[in-house]
Amino acid sequence: MIPLRQINISLITAPEFNLEYLWWLSLSFIVLAVVYFIGIFFIRNRITSTTGRTKNKKIEFSPMISEFLFYEDSNSKEEKMNYLNLKIQIRELIKQSFDRTVLTEVLLDLRKDLSGQSQTVLIDLYKDLGLHNDAFEKLASRRWQIISGGILELTTMEVLESYSLIIKFINHRQGTVRKQAEIAVVNLREEGIGYFLDNTKYKISEWQQLKLLDVLRHKSNFEPPSFGLWLTSTNSHVVLFSLRLIKYYKQSDAEQSIITLLKHKKRDIQAEAIDCIKEFYFVSAIPTLKMVYGKASTDIKIAILDAIGEIGSKSDVEFLERLKKKERNFNIKSKVLGTLNKLDPESILPTKNISTSDYFLSEPDNNEEVNEVHESTDNEIAIETPEIISKNIIEIEEELVGDELNEPIIEEQIVNLNAEEHLEPTELEFNAVESKVDSTIDKETILNEQNPIADSISEIDLSFLPKVDNDIVEEEETISTDLETVVEEERVLTFDFLPLIISNPNIEEVITNDEDIDFVPLFSLDENLDIEHNAIENKTDSFQKNEIEEIDWSNVSNVQTNQDAEVVKEPLISFDNDTVTFSANFMAQGELETMVLLENVAEMGDCRELPMLQELLTKNTSPLILDRTNELIQKFSYQLPRPNELFSSNNDLADSVFTEVYNHSDKETKLMLLKEIKIVGDKKEIKLLETIINTESKSLAKAAKSVLKHINSKIALTNVEKHNTVENYNPLFEVDFELCLSEASKRIMKSNENGSTLFDQLCSISNTLYNKING
Amino acid sequence: MGKRVLLADDDQLLASLLIFRLKKGGYDVHHSSNGKEVKEYLKTEMPDIIVSDIMMPYFSGIELIDFVRNELKSNTPIIIISSAGNEQNVLSAFELGANDFITKPVSPTELLVRVAREINKK
Repeated sequence: MIPLRQINISLITAPEFNLEYLWWLSLSFIVLAVVYFIGIFFIRNRITSTTGRTKNKKIEFSPMISEFLFYEDSNSKEEKMNYLNLKIQIRELIKQSFDRTVLTEVLLDLRKDLSGQSQTVLIDLYKDLGLHNDAFEKLASRRWQIISGGILELTTMEVLESYSLIIKFINHRQGTVRKQAEIAVVNLREEGIGYFLDNTKYKISEWQQLKLLDVLRHKSNFEPPSFGLWLTSTNSHVVLFSLRLIKYYKQSDAEQSIITLLKHKKRDIQAEAIDCIKEFYFVSAIPTLKMVYGKASTDIKIAILDAIGEIGSKSDVEFLERLKKKERNFNIKSKVLGTLNKLDPESILPTKNISTSDYFLSEPDNNEEVNEVHESTDNEIAIETPEIISKNIIEIEEELVGDELNEPIIEEQIVNLNAEEHLEPTELEFNAVESKVDSTIDKETILNEQNPIADSISEIDLSFLPKVDNDIVEEEETISTDLETVVEEERVLTFDFLPLIISNPNIEEVITNDEDIDFVPLFSLDENLDIEHNAIENKTDSFQKNEIEEIDWSNVSNVQTNQDAEVVKEPLISFDNDTVTFSANFMAQGELETMVLLENVAEMGDCRELPMLQELLTKNTSPLILDRTNELIQKFSYQLPRPNELFSSNNDLADSVFTEVYNHSDKETKLMLLKEIKIVGDKKEIKLLETIINTESKSLAKAAKSVLKHINSKIALTNVEKHNTVENYNPLFEVDFELCLSEASKRIMKSNENGSTLFDQLCSISNTLYNKING
Repeated sequence: MGKRVLLADDDQLLASLLIFRLKKGGYDVHHSSNGKEVKEYLKTEMPDIIVSDIMMPYFSGIELIDFVRNELKSNTPIIIISSAGNEQNVLSAFELGANDFITKPVSPTELLVRVAREINKK
């Protein structure tokens, strides 16, 4: 075996390269770079020197040209001699090609800047000096840019002799030369436009058409040929340009040709022909326009309709009517309708988003009615709050099937009787009951009959009734259509179950200030409303209209007599003679507010509300509030942090809120904070104050001592007060609601299994009733 | 000595022609090729009439009018030379107090007549 060290085979071998070649290569690159820079330098210098020379030459030529331009025969002999000398001098100068080029440049520049007599003289000078010969030579060049320059020069200097030389460039393959030649041909001679239109084979761009038209426009004494002759051209661009020229020069002698062009395959030509027809009022084109319409594109259809609108008559209405039915394209249909109205004004009336007449008629009627009622009641009817009043009557009705009471059905029927929901605020000044009556029966009838109910209800404040949001305009129509059915249903409603509260029955002032009325939407009607209306309607069909008198107003009267009583307590539900009667559940205002607060806390609160809830427990005696509070305490206690943790000394919440702010403050702010602690601080601040006393400067420690003393005295006072009120202390506060529940709480929890909202409570009641009846 | 005309135009060729024509018309012409020069000249001397191109480097014809009317508080007649189709600038010039305007291509003879008319008005 051969040892590894004896193997001399290299894995990678570098190719052999002669270093001499590398040196040569480098040298050649350096030479090339030098040549390049020398070339650049040389060219740059040449351009600079040429520019300088040109500038100097221009300065030299300038007074000479001025002399030539403003030479007058009336000049003095000396001036004339000077002029002749300059002429000789300039002729000598232009023998050199550079000078000739510069002089040509100067004359071309001045041609653009001068007008009038000076311009004519300038052109004559150009020709007189024979500079146009150079331009002719340029036309023979092989390079297209030189040819183009030559054509431009000859055109600018109006060398008419060059016309015959330029026309051959009309169909030059190079676009720039071709376009320059087109302009030159049109510019130089009057017949140039004809020659161009006859011979051009190429496309005439829109820009070129504009330029040619501009040339023609500025030609003095130009008599345009009849461009209708070129409508038969095989070059469609020539046809299009001819149509435009026809329109521009108002040549109406090619009527039939133009009408024929309506059938052209190119849309541009069709559109231009339509424009011409409209311009020249070619009525004979209408049948062709109608014929072409069928297979035309959208824009052409619109153009045709526009033309028919301009030149058509009522006899074309039939055609348009057909189109109206047939067309599906929005733009075309709109144009058809517009054209129809143009030919036969007011034949088409607006239909989109137009309400029916009934919509407008119904509202004034209501207004009138309301006004009448308003007047007749002689301001007797008053409301406490100027809000939109609508009725939301909850009727819980037990229906019996046949004679048996087997299946009592408790229904919740929400009836919106907002008949006046779209009325103006002044029309909403009726109280709830009157509005109800207004919706139920004809108001005028009631008023004419001087119904005693009206008198009794006039003094009742029913502002407590639930307010219905009426801002959904779209629902108005639906609701209003159902009003009649609701009205019938209304007649059989009993009002004895309503929770009537009379806070200020003496208010009789009719509020007429519209601006004061605040339309605050309380809740929206849902879509099921109509269904509910129908259900109610079915149940109340059998009742007569005059049954409104059967309404039991005794409760209302009773309430009136007991108006001094703040709270009227009645049993919620009584069972008499197999009949379930519901009575109002009255609650003290403060109690009600507390309950509302508790409901809000239940919905949005968390464990942070526990101190507040405990405070409520101590302050309130109402069993309802206590139960609910306990329930909430129990609910929140399961959230983190637990109450015992919450108030433990280890918790951050036990620390002073001032701590962090204090640590980041300067001395002045710290003193201010101490003042604040003195005012609002409690035992939580003691720790902070002690820290300050031990660590801070003398002045701060002194202030902290003072504050600490103050807080200690405050705490001592609080303890004394607590000691005094220990007898009133509610033992519920001590309940360990976290681990075990009191019997009361358990019962409440059980009773609230169905939820805590009003709807849930009602459902719960219905279940209870059902269970009770069925044993 | 003829009336002094200040011609402000950056186009040397056209300016030389106009100067020639104005001189021939008997006016004493001073030429400035940019706004700065015009401003410097006007600070030292106020001509009988100013003929200015509307487009000039550093200081446009519009600014020149504003300078003469509002800073120098001078009522010297000003004729503006503008390109055709530059109506908006011409209107602005008139609003600021230009007396007349002439469009390019310019007819030197026409300019001479206008200058004479403005000077006679003055």
